[in-house]
Amino acid sequence: MANYLAQFQTIKNSCDHIVIAVEDVSDLWPNIKSGFEERVPIKRASLNNKTRNPVLVENFPCEFILTTDSRLRSRFPQEQSLFWFREPYATIVLVTCEDLDEFKTILKPRLKLIVQNDEKEWFIVFVSRAHPSNDNAVKMAKKVYAKLEVDFSTKRRERCCKYDIHGPEANFWDDLESKIMECVRNTLDRRVQFYEDEIRKLTEQRFMPVWNFCNFFILKESLAFMFEMAHLYEDALREYDELELCYLETVNMPGKQREFGGVDHGDDWAALLNHENKPLTQIVQDDSFREFEFRQYLFAYQSKLLFKLNRPFEVASRGHSFIIGFSKALTLHENMLPFCMREVWVITACLALINATASPNFDGLVATDIEKEFYRLKGDLYSLCRVKFMRLAYLIGYGADIEKSPVNSALLSMLTWPKPPVWPSVPLDASPEVLEKEKVILQATPKIKHFGIQRKPLPLEPSVLLREANRRRASLSAGNVFEVFDGRPALIDGSASDASSRTPPSKKMNAISMSRTNSSPGTFDGSVDRPMRLAEIYVAAEHALKHTISDADLWKALSSVVEFEQKYLELTKGAADNYHHSWWKRHGVVLDGEIAAVCFRHGNFDLAAKSYEKVCALYAGEGWQELLADVLPNLAECQKMLNDQAGYLASCVRLLSLDKGLFSTKERQAFQAEVLRLARSEMKDPVPLDVSSLITFSGNPGPPLELCDGDPGILSVTVWSGFPDDITLDSLSLTLTATFNADEGAKALRSSTATILKPGRNTITLALPPQRPGSYVLGVLTGQIGQLRFRSHSFSKGGPADSDDFMSYEKPTRPILKVFKPRPLVDLAAAISSALLINETQWVGVIVRPIDYSLKGAVLYIDTGPGLNIEESHVIEMETRVNISQSSAEMTNSNGTQKDCSLASIKEFQQLKLDNGRIEFPAWASDTDSVIWIPVRAISDRLPRGSSSVTPQKQSNLDGMRTIALKLEFGVSHNQIFERHLFNHPNLKNHIALICRTVAVHFTDPFHVSTRVADKCNDGTLLLQVILHSQVKATLTIYDAWLELQDGFIHTGQGTGRPTSSFFPLMISPTSRAGIMFSIRLGKVIDKDEVEALQTESILNIRYGIYGERTNGAHPPVAVDGIETEDARQDLLFKSAIVLQRPVLDPCLAVGFLPLPSTGLRVGQLITMQWRVERLKGPEDNGISEHNCKVFALVISVGVVYYLLFLSLSIGTGEVLYEVSANSENWMLAGRKRGHATLSTIQGSRIVISVLCVPLVAGYVRPPQLGLPNVEESNISCNPPGPHLVCVMPPALSSSFCIPP
Amino acid sequence: MTTTACFIIVSRNDIPIYEAEVGSATKREDAAQTHQFILHAALDIVQDHAWTTSAMYLKAIDRFNDLVVSVYVTAGHILCVFLNSYTQHILFGAYITLLNPLYLPGSRIASSHFDTKVRALARKYL
Repeated sequence: MANYLAQFQTIKNSCDHIVIAVEDVSDLWPNIKSGFEERVPIKRASLNNKTRNPVLVENFPCEFILTTDSRLRSRFPQEQSLFWFREPYATIVLVTCEDLDEFKTILKPRLKLIVQNDEKEWFIVFVSRAHPSNDNAVKMAKKVYAKLEVDFSTKRRERCCKYDIHGPEANFWDDLESKIMECVRNTLDRRVQFYEDEIRKLTEQRFMPVWNFCNFFILKESLAFMFEMAHLYEDALREYDELELCYLETVNMPGKQREFGGVDHGDDWAALLNHENKPLTQIVQDDSFREFEFRQYLFAYQSKLLFKLNRPFEVASRGHSFIIGFSKALTLHENMLPFCMREVWVITACLALINATASPNFDGLVATDIEKEFYRLKGDLYSLCRVKFMRLAYLIGYGADIEKSPVNSALLSMLTWPKPPVWPSVPLDASPEVLEKEKVILQATPKIKHFGIQRKPLPLEPSVLLREANRRRASLSAGNVFEVFDGRPALIDGSASDASSRTPPSKKMNAISMSRTNSSPGTFDGSVDRPMRLAEIYVAAEHALKHTISDADLWKALSSVVEFEQKYLELTKGAADNYHHSWWKRHGVVLDGEIAAVCFRHGNFDLAAKSYEKVCALYAGEGWQELLADVLPNLAECQKMLNDQAGYLASCVRLLSLDKGLFSTKERQAFQAEVLRLARSEMKDPVPLDVSSLITFSGNPGPPLELCDGDPGILSVTVWSGFPDDITLDSLSLTLTATFNADEGAKALRSSTATILKPGRNTITLALPPQRPGSYVLGVLTGQIGQLRFRSHSFSKGGPADSDDFMSYEKPTRPILKVFKPRPLVDLAAAISSALLINETQWVGVIVRPIDYSLKGAVLYIDTGPGLNIEESHVIEMETRVNISQSSAEMTNSNGTQKDCSLASIKEFQQLKLDNGRIEFPAWASDTDSVIWIPVRAISDRLPRGSSSVTPQKQSNLDGMRTIALKLEFGVSHNQIFERHLFNHPNLKNHIALICRTVAVHFTDPFHVSTRVADKCNDGTLLLQVILHSQVKATLTIYDAWLELQDGFIHTGQGTGRPTSSFFPLMISPTSRAGIMFSIRLGKVIDKDEVEALQTESILNIRYGIYGERTNGAHPPVAVDGIETEDARQDLLFKSAIVLQRPVLDPCLAVGFLPLPSTGLRVGQLITMQWRVERLKGPEDNGISEHNCKVFALVISVGVVYYLLFLSLSIGTGEVLYEVSANSENWMLAGRKRGHATLSTIQGSRIVISVLCVPLVAGYVRPPQLGLPNVEESNISCNPPGPHLVCVMPPALSSSFCIPP
Repeated sequence: MTTTACFIIVSRNDIPIYEAEVGSATKREDAAQTHQFILHAALDIVQDHAWTTSAMYLKAIDRFNDLVVSVYVTAGHILCVFLNSYTQHILFGAYITLLNPLYLPGSRIASSHFDTKVRALARKYL
C-alpha cells in the first residue's frame, strides 16, 4: 500500500472540502448553479463527531460537482474504497416536470434507477419553472411535486424539496441546507464507521510480522483528513495524536530500528510546522517512515489543526515539549548527524514556533492562567533557542563576547558539548582564518570589573573545549590525548580554567612560550595527529557549521560578532519580555540583566543602568546576596559612567552592606574609598543617601535612660558601621520619636563634631537637650560625610557585634529614653518650726532635701524679707542632716572607705561664704539631705507689751513672722540649668531649675509678760505679779529683773524695784512660766498731765541668758564679730512695756428697782413702784478728795483691773434729791414726783422711794424711772436694775364700763 | 558517586534564610552562584504551583539540565528547596527549627548547630 502514498498525498493536496454530487436529470444546473453556489459555505451545520455527538460547524465548505464531471467519473472502484473520503457526501437530483404523465412514464423510472444505489445519500430538488402568473402551470407543477413526494419521500425521511425558479420560497434554502447536511452527516457517519472498522482490524494485527505501518497511516490519516474536511478539527487532531502514539510505539520496537533520517541537506532547518516539507514518498522506508521527518510531519499536522482551532498556546506548549523530546532523539542519533545538527535544529524549531505563535489575539478569550502559561512557554522557547545559539557562537569563537553571568553559566556549563563522531578538523586552506582567530584570542583581554573586583569568571562550558575537541578527533588516531594535551596547552582563553588549575606552574610558563610558537603559521600543518589549538577548533567548527546550517538567516547571525550580538539581543529580549508577560519576574529580570550586559559593553550605559537596576532590585528585595554581588558592581559602573552620583553612591553603599564574605577586604575598601572620594571631593551639591543597610544603630542594652522632665542628659547610642575602615563623619544627628505622641515631631540630637566610626560596633554619645515627658524611641540617624548626607532608618539588634545581621525588620523598637513627668525634685524647708529670738543673730536652718535627684552645682539664692537681715559678714554653715535611719545606713556604708567610723566623720560640715546673696553647694551635698544654717537677725523696734490677767494673750504670731525667700538653681549640668517645681516659667527656656520657696521663720521675744494685781493691800500697796511665759524652746536663765514704773506709781519702800537678788538666777524651762512679784503703790498724779500719764508705760527689764540648740529652736545669738567663746555667758536684755492706768470713777449710791407684784399690771389698776436707794460708801472713805470722788484703777495694758470708790456726798446734809419721770401718756403718777429723801451718810444706809402710779395703756410700756439729779450718773450703780419694759394687761371686765351700744 | 546538591530554606518573602551545599562532590567555587541562580529562578515556578495544589511536597518542580529542584512548602509558606536531593530527614530538622518559638520569622538561621546537623544528615542519607 506504500505505493499509494504518492497518490494519497496528491489527493489530499487537491481536495480540501466535501463534495456534493449533482445529478442533473433535466439539464437545470446551469440555470440554478449560481443560486446554489451562493449558499456555500453553509453557515451553520450540525455534524456528528467520532463519538456520535452532535457538533455545530460554522461555515461548512462544500462544492457542488455534477456527476458527469470528470473528477467523479474517472475513478477506479479500488481507489474509491481506499480514498473514500473524497467521494461525494450527498447527491442532489435535480428534476423538473410539467406533466403528470410524463412524470409517471419517464421521470419516475429514471429517478428510481438513480436512487437505487444504497450507498448514496440523495434527495430530490424539484425545480418549478412555472411562472407565478400562469396559474395553470403552477397548479400542474404542484401536482407533479405532490406526486413526487408521494413516490420518493417516506415517513421517516423527507427526500424532496421544491425550488421555484422564479422566486424560491422563503424557507427553501434552509430546507435545502438541512437536507444537504442530513445527507452529509449520514455519509460521514457511515464512512467514519468504515474507517474505524478498518483501523481496528489493522490495530489488532499490529504485532504480526506482516503488519505495515504505512497502511495504518493511510487509513488513519484518511480518517483524520476526512474530519478535517468536515471541519471536525478536534477529531482530526485526536487521530493524529493516536497516529503519533502508534508510530512512537512501533518505531522504537527492537529489531525494527530504521534509519533516523535527517542527513539530507536542509534537514537542519526544522520543519516541525511545515508539513509539506518533504513528500511522504521521500521519507518512507520499507513499511514505515524515517523518524526524523515523520515526527516533524505529524507535529506539523497537529499544529496546523491547532491553529485552525485557534489554540496557538497549545501549539507552543506541544511544540516546546516536542522540541525537548525531539532534541533527545537527535542526541541519540547525533553521531550520524552533521556537526551540531541538534543545536541548529533546536534553534530553527524554536524560531519557527515563536514566529508561528507570534501574535495570538487573546482578547480576554482565554483564562489568565493559560495566557500566562503561553507566554511562559514562549519565554522558554526563546530561552532554549538562546542557549543553543550561544553554544554555537561559543564553538566558533565568540565566547569572549558572551557575558559570564550566572544565568549563562548555569545554562551553558551544564549543557554537554556536541558529540560528533569526529570533531571537525580544520580545512586545508583555512590558515588565514586561524591566524585571525588567534589574533582575536590574544587580543581579548579579560574584562576587568569595576572596583578591581577579581573573580574567577564563571564557566561557559561543561568541560574544556580544547580537550573535548581533541579527544573526539584523537579517537581516530593513536596516542594518549591527555599526554598530548598536557604537553601543549594552548591556554590563552581564560575559560580554560579547569585545565589551568591542574597545570603545574612550570608547565604554564611553558604554555605561554609554546603558544607563541604554535601560533606561527609555519608550524601549522593541519595534520590529524596533531592536537588542534583553540583557534583551529573555532575555525573548524565554523566551517563545519557552515556546512550544516542551511538557514541563511541563522548563518548570517553567526557570521560575525556584530550579527551574533544582534541576534543574541533579539532572543534575550524576546525571552525576557515573554517571561515578564508570564509573571515570571525572576526569569525575566535575569534576562534583562543580560541585555544590560550587552548594552554595557557597547557603552549604552543608560539602558544598561536601567536594566541592571531592575535586576539589583529583584535580588536585593529577595536578599539573594551572592547573585546581587555579581551584578551590583556592573550597575555601579554604569552609574559612574552616567555621572549619576547619587545612584553610584547608593550602589557603593549597597555593595558595602552585602555579606562580608562576598567581597574581599580590599574590595570593600575600594568601595569605601569611592564613597569617600565622591563625598569629599567630587560632588558639588549635597546628595542624600540612605545607608540603612550599612550603618545601623540601637540604644544600649539595658533599661532606657531615665531623665527628669526638663533635664538634659547624655544619650549613648550604639552605632554599627559596615564600612571596612574607619570613617569620619562630619556630623551626626539622631532623632528621637515620642512613642505616645504622634503629632510631636521627631527631635534631632546633633553632634556637630566629627565622629570617627570604627568598623563594627561604636558607641556614640550625644548631648540630649531637655525633652518633654514621655517615652522615646530612636528615629533616624542622619549625618554628613563631605557633601553626602546620609540617613539610616534601621535599628540593629542589640546583639553581639559580630553578628552579621545588620538589619532586623521585626525587632520591636525599644524605648531609649524615658522622661518623667514633672515631680518635685528637691524640697526646701525650714529646719525648725519653733521660734527664734528676735533682735538677736540667730541661725536659721534650711533643710535641702534632694528627692532622688542630684544637686550637683546647685546655687542657693537667699533673699530676706522685710525686718530680717543676714549677717553677711558671718559664714554660713552647711552640714549633713542626720536622722537616725540615715546615719545608721551611712555607718554601714562608710565602713570600707573611712577608717574613722565616728559619727563626726560621716557628718559633713562645711562653712560657706555668702556671695552676693548666693551660696554654691559643695559636692557632698548633691545627694544627701543637708541643712544650711544662715545667721540672720530679725529686727523689730516694737517694744513687747505685756498682757493682763483679765485679757488673755492674743495668739498672734504675725508680729514675729519673717520670711526668707530661697531660690535654688540646680540641674544636671552647670551650664544648663532648669527651672521647675514650685515655680514654672512657661516662657523660660533658659534651662534653670528653680525652686523658689519662701520659708517662714518665726521670731519671738524670749518671754511673754502678763501681769495681774495679786493683791491690794489696805495700805495702798499693790502686789503686782509679773508672769513670764517662756516663748522659746530653750532654757532661759533670768539673772536680773527690774521694773521702771510710769508716773503715778512708785515702788513700795525705797527699792529700785528689783526683786530680791537671791531669787536669781531663775531658770525657766522651755515653754514653762515663772512669776515675779513687784510691790508698788500709787504715787502722786499731776492733774494737768493726765493724758500724758496715761500714755506712759512701765518698763519691765529682764537680763537673761539662753541655752539652746539651734536644731531645736532659739539658741544663744551668733557672735557676729566672730570671737565666740563658748564659756562666755551672754547676757541679754529683755524689755517689756507694762501699762498702768487709772481713769475710772466709783459709784457711791446704788438704786435698786424693787419687784412688781406678781399679779401683774393692769390698766387702771393702782400700783406702787418702789426703788431702794442705798449708800455704798461711808464718809470715812473720802480721804483723797473732798467733793468729787476720784477713782484710780490700776490698768495694765488693756483694761480696768480694780475700782476704788470715793463718795462725793456732802457729809452734812444726808438728803438725796430724787425725781421720777414717766411718760404721761402711759402712766399717771400719784404722789410726789420730785423731792428730797433723807438718807443717812453711814455706809449701808438705805431708803425706799415709792410712787403710786396707774398704767394707762395696755401693752409693753416703759416703766417710770427714778433719777437722782444731784448725783452724777457714774456714781450710781443700778442694782438690781429696773426693767426696760413692763407688761400692762388690759383692764379687767367691769360693768361700769359696759355701755350697751 | 558524587552528587551535586544544595539545600536552601527560603522565607515567605523569598529571602533565603539558610543555605547549605550538601553534595558530596568537591565544591566548585563557581557552583554556589549557579545553584543560587537556579534555585532563585525556581521560585518563579513555585509561586505558580504552590497555590494550585494541596500537596506540600512539589517534587521535581523544575529541571535545569541535570539538576532537579524539589520544593517542600510549609504551611507558613516557607520553602525548603532541594537541589538534586530530597530527604525527609533534613526537612524534618528544618521544620523543627522553624517551629522553634524563639525563632524570629524572617531572620536568618545562623545556628551552627543546625548547620552541622543538616550536613550530617546529608552525609548520611544522600
